[in-house]
Amino acid sequence: MLVTWKYRPRDTFVQRLDPRARLIFLACMILAVFQFWDIRFLLPFFVISLTLYFLARIEWHDVRRAWIFILLFVTFIVGLNALLSGRGGPLEVLQDVSSRVIFQARILTVPLVGWTWTVRITVVKAVFAATQLVRILTMAILAIPIPYTFDPSRYGVAFRQLGLPDKAAYTMDLAFRFVPTLGRDFGITLDAQRARGYEVDRLKGGIISRLRRLAPLVVPVTMLAIVGGEDVVDAMDLRAFGTRPRTWTVRLEYDTKDRLFIAFGVLLVVVSVALNILGYGDFWVPSALLAGG
Amino acid sequence: MSEAPPIVVENLSFRYRTRTELAIEDISLMVHPGEMILVAGASGCGKTTLARCINGLIPRSYKGELKGSVHLYGRPVSGMTLAEIAQVVGTLLQDPERQIVASQVFAEVAFGPENLGLPREEVLERVGEALHRLGIEHLRERETFNLSGGEKQKVALAGVLAMRPTVLLLDEPLASLDPASAHEALALFRRLADEGTTIVLVEHRVEDALAARPDRLLYIEDGRVRYLGPIDSLPPEVDPAQVKLPAAWVVKYLRQQGKMTPPPPVPERDGEALVVFEDVDYAYGDGPLVLKGVNLTIRRGDLLAVLGPNGAGKSTLVKHAIGLLKPTRGRVLVEGKDTRDLSVAQVASTVGYVFQSPSHMLFAPTVLEELAFGPENLGFDSDATAQAVRESVQVVNLQGMEKYSPLGLSFGQQKRTAIAAVLAMRSRILILDEPTAGQDYANYTRFMNTLCRATDGRGQSLLSSRFAATLFITHDLDLALTYANRVVLVSDGRIVADGRPEDVLQDFALLERCRVRPTSLLRMNCEFLPKTGRFLPVEALAAYAA
Repeated sequence: MLVTWKYRPRDTFVQRLDPRARLIFLACMILAVFQFWDIRFLLPFFVISLTLYFLARIEWHDVRRAWIFILLFVTFIVGLNALLSGRGGPLEVLQDVSSRVIFQARILTVPLVGWTWTVRITVVKAVFAATQLVRILTMAILAIPIPYTFDPSRYGVAFRQLGLPDKAAYTMDLAFRFVPTLGRDFGITLDAQRARGYEVDRLKGGIISRLRRLAPLVVPVTMLAIVGGEDVVDAMDLRAFGTRPRTWTVRLEYDTKDRLFIAFGVLLVVVSVALNILGYGDFWVPSALLAGG
Repeated sequence: MSEAPPIVVENLSFRYRTRTELAIEDISLMVHPGEMILVAGASGCGKTTLARCINGLIPRSYKGELKGSVHLYGRPVSGMTLAEIAQVVGTLLQDPERQIVASQVFAEVAFGPENLGLPREEVLERVGEALHRLGIEHLRERETFNLSGGEKQKVALAGVLAMRPTVLLLDEPLASLDPASAHEALALFRRLADEGTTIVLVEHRVEDALAARPDRLLYIEDGRVRYLGPIDSLPPEVDPAQVKLPAAWVVKYLRQQGKMTPPPPVPERDGEALVVFEDVDYAYGDGPLVLKGVNLTIRRGDLLAVLGPNGAGKSTLVKHAIGLLKPTRGRVLVEGKDTRDLSVAQVASTVGYVFQSPSHMLFAPTVLEELAFGPENLGFDSDATAQAVRESVQVVNLQGMEKYSPLGLSFGQQKRTAIAAVLAMRSRILILDEPTAGQDYANYTRFMNTLCRATDGRGQSLLSSRFAATLFITHDLDLALTYANRVVLVSDGRIVADGRPEDVLQDFALLERCRVRPTSLLRMNCEFLPKTGRFLPVEALAAYAA
């Protein structure tokens, strides 16, 4: 059986919004943020995301784990990658050789062939890493509250009324609930294997050996997901799912605040695209930092 | 609806594409309007295959070779769409968890009528009617995954009834319910039949199913019909070893066959404390207390059954014994050491825990590797691991399957593999969470007999020869009184009774408060207790019943 995220009904501005308005606004924000590499242009979006996050009034202990995961992911994968390699952004960061070097060290020299790997952090890369963190966090802060503030019984109908066909809309409904179900099965499996003396924090050896040691967790969880999927298909077949166009009893209706919220999102996209076309928002490094060398 | 009978099965045979043998063979059956027919037989006998032929999953979802025919009100199932069949035959699957697809009760009940594309007003009317019929209007806005087992089943049934079927196919509907919920479900099925619904009740727990007063019994063995007729008494064709029957019927059968056995010896208990719970409270996160002031000592020689309804805190209790959960208040000592100071891996060398579902633990490419996993984690050397694995294979009778993939085994074999995997760790205490769940009567009786029945004159069983104590959680009262020498009753997070089965299980009022229903075997044991001096398994009890 699929379980749901830890949703609670709350009388907040965010939860009073039509789920479709929130999804459309999320899409608008992502599109708008993608227009800029200039941290000065990104900061207003960051503030909007943060404001909406606090308006959602989610209890900290509900989202603590999600935050830890996101912060670790953003810092170590996105931040470090940006800082060390400069990849994933504008070309001028990748090709930067002229700006001031903050830190440089030879990390590794391969014997015999003599190849070396040198870490060279420049002002440009440091600013780029900060910009990249603000971009990703802007989107993450907007996305984190969704599972906790989005009524699970509205998943399917929201996507249907956004124009997806019946099957695709219901698939989205099931997919949304698949993640916490996987989490539950993972928790039970971890307990069952720990009871057999398995300690996940004691993984030793090389990558292959470590991956093999993860099999006691990965194999049962995968098999449960497959078998669970078959159960869902049988249960849906037995109640005539997909045999004809279906009725969606729950109907979502936009009200004024939803329309205004969507309009605000669309406005952000229009303005952002226009600024981009006019040449604003390219990668920016404070001249004081560049001149400092 | 046409005048033709609701279900007519004629010379039906089916072979699954992946199998060489027939799953059912030459089955013929006619079910009348408003009739309740009980379909019984051991696991793999073909009951579920017959049900799948009636509800159209065969051949649509399960491919194979089908011969013969099934007609619903005169129309061949082969010529009907799934949507058409679903409006005639409503199917309730074995586990409501597998049936419920929506996240909220209203959405779940509305799911079928919505799929039929009915007008919105009619969907609302049908949902209201189905919820009202089952008396669960108050659940309408609840999230489905937060419901109790009994509530989930009612919601799943409401989802089926909202399709307004005239035939209900109930596939082992009692499997995941505690005894009191099962009894309520059976009363409900009877009421639906009395209101005119034709019911096919597939169940191996015949004793329980009789409470719904089925009109006829269809007994299947090896895919063939062995008996079809009334069930006022035990038909000679029905083998009491295959399905669970009322104790009086079994006693009569055993006496006729001369198969009574002497009382098994009582296992010795020497009183050494192995696991001690001291004033244990526990709450998940900031939720309510699930355990409240629990004091319990597991002693050497205990064969302890933990009984209680769903949600009483039984699993939470035993997870403390292995250190998977640490008390919110109080402490748990394993061989004198506080579990707060021990890792789960350290406790695992003393306490072996077999989870309810083998699917959550089996992962290795072969049975041998699966069984070696625990001993290797505990630091056994290769000789000791090989020896422990060899012994475990023998104990649970898995010889010949050592090289098989555990994932490809039947459910019963997987369960035995899971137990062997824990046996191989040579822990001092064994904990089994619902050891019989998901298995039919014939399988679990064989399995429990192998583990718990004495193999020598001193009452030593395979379990007692390998473990200082064994604890099992169960819903099955007969399992407790047949195999345990000590019973603990748990209700609402507290231990409400603890003692010998004869001391705890005679208090019917207490059992009722804990949603444990006295069975015919318990009643018979109570009746003969002055002669027997203790509770006995049915084979031994037969010797006392004149």
